Amino acid sequence: MNVLRWWWGLLLAFALLALLRIFLPLPFANEIIIFSIYTMGCNFLLGRVGYISFGQPAYLAVGAYATAFYLYYFGTNAYIGILIGVVAGIGVSFAIGLFFVRLRGDYFALVNLALAVIIYYLMQKVLADITHGDNGLWFLTNLASTPVLDISRPDQFFIFAFLVAFVIWAFYKYIDDSIFGACCLATKINEDKLRFLGYSSFKIRLFAFVIANTTTALAGAMYAVYLGFVSPEITSPSRAADPVVVTILGGLGTLYGPIVGSIAFTGMKDLVSKVIGNWELIVGFLLVFVMLAGEKGIWGTVEPLLKKMFSRASVPAGVGDGGVKSR
Amino acid sequence: MIDTHLLISGVIFGLSMGSIFFLMTIGLSLCFGLMRIISLDQLLYYSVGAYITYSVSLAIGDIWLGVLAGVIVGGITALVVERVVFRRIYERDLPFTMITSFGVLIGGVGVIKFFWGLVPRPVPVPIAAQVDILGTEIPAYRLVVVVIAALVYVGIWLFLNRTIIGKAIRAGIEDVEHVEGLGINVYRLFTITFVLAGGLSGLAGGLHAPLIMVDPQMGLEVLAFAFMVVIIGGLGSIKGTLVSSILVGQVISIGSLIYAPLAQMAPFAIMLLILLIRPTGLFGSPLLKR
Repeated sequence: MNVLRWWWGLLLAFALLALLRIFLPLPFANEIIIFSIYTMGCNFLLGRVGYISFGQPAYLAVGAYATAFYLYYFGTNAYIGILIGVVAGIGVSFAIGLFFVRLRGDYFALVNLALAVIIYYLMQKVLADITHGDNGLWFLTNLASTPVLDISRPDQFFIFAFLVAFVIWAFYKYIDDSIFGACCLATKINEDKLRFLGYSSFKIRLFAFVIANTTTALAGAMYAVYLGFVSPEITSPSRAADPVVVTILGGLGTLYGPIVGSIAFTGMKDLVSKVIGNWELIVGFLLVFVMLAGEKGIWGTVEPLLKKMFSRASVPAGVGDGGVKSR
Repeated sequence: MIDTHLLISGVIFGLSMGSIFFLMTIGLSLCFGLMRIISLDQLLYYSVGAYITYSVSLAIGDIWLGVLAGVIVGGITALVVERVVFRRIYERDLPFTMITSFGVLIGGVGVIKFFWGLVPRPVPVPIAAQVDILGTEIPAYRLVVVVIAALVYVGIWLFLNRTIIGKAIRAGIEDVEHVEGLGINVYRLFTITFVLAGGLSGLAGGLHAPLIMVDPQMGLEVLAFAFMVVIIGGLGSIKGTLVSSILVGQVISIGSLIYAPLAQMAPFAIMLLILLIRPTGLFGSPLLKR
């Protein structure tokens, strides 16, 4: 029973996602899944560790380009490509994290955005011989079909992305319930007391930083495989706000925030870009509006309502675990 | 070794670049010092200043008037944004203000795209003359930019040290609650500082416009350099901003003489190095926590 209780919120969310697949066109569903993986890293960093990062596109690009290099120059197997993207993500975020997590929150945010811009320049100009600059790397035709799940095909890619997203979700839920998760939250709320308890806040932050940015790199690798091409556009500074917008839109630090935010954001993007081609205008003012309205986000607003509804419905029946779903 | 002529023009180029960085980041630094906000939207006023310079100089034909208009419109935009958005969020913590101001920046870029379109616009150089320094021809305009920035630095120094409002602002940077306790309306100080910062960013945009193409993404393009200047100098320190903007300008310019891609990478490497030694930048105070 306990196991079921732990899982059922997750299962419900994914059942919803699977249901969406029936109603929504495939590219849209794929976009949502990858985007929510992308956002989960940012959500963890912002909501649990208290680090705001506008540099997420940098780590996205690390994953995407590592995968792209492999698939363009060396191999054809998309699974190995994604694996290489993840390994590159771990390596780069560990190396960078050693520098970055020592910084105060405000400096951290600034340095991260600077990093995103630097990686943009690096990919667009400095390494133009390898990355082909603005033209990007096209390797869709290089992708060989893989056994079991052929992720070079969009419909099977969806299943793969779905499973990956599920595993990562479970992973974050596990972290949330573990001591490590509590420590992360403690670094956000009161670092001095954490140190007093004998934990090293540097190690905790570094570990959290690596986890979050590896998730982002994984999303980058999946973007690369899904689109079959990578260009510097992926790290462009004007898109740096996207994951933060989605995180805040969905609800900061909630487990279901990323998926709710991704669905809302991608859907809105789709609708708005059909009407006017001026996407920045909407993102910017949406962000300001959500912040001024109280930064609770969609899930943060819905959650207490759901809780209320469930507890009212379930208490007379004597079950009384209505609040478990919302974490 | 590098040719002397190249080196001289490189140094002047770096100085003019540093001057523009200084004008742009002084607002960020002042806002952080006094209000404890990271005001990324300064880069919006920079773009606005550049675009107003372009439009006015196209309509009237005088670029200096255009720059003046850019400063004024930059200040007015800052005033509006301060009244509508920042008034409500001064009390919030830093990341919060940073996200909000980034939203303003992105939204503002959208507005600029709406009005002026996506096409990059050229602005003619107001002073075409060349000046001879040690046998090297230097565009006079770049020297004028350096002089203007120096004048602004002196002006800000005088403002902060000789006027009562400036003194109140400096006191506010030390401890805002005590200033409030003295019966000074700190929110008026905030507005003054914010508008001043917006005007200076507009000035930076207007002066930079003839040296580059004016396009909607220009604010985002200099974003990284603005950050590096602020981080190297230390948030909230005016002297630090001056030193680090000159440093970053020189590194970009001399670096690109040695090896072209170095222009973007070298300041970043220097920033990492300085952060390793001093995590709060060269002149940043470790006590700036509230």
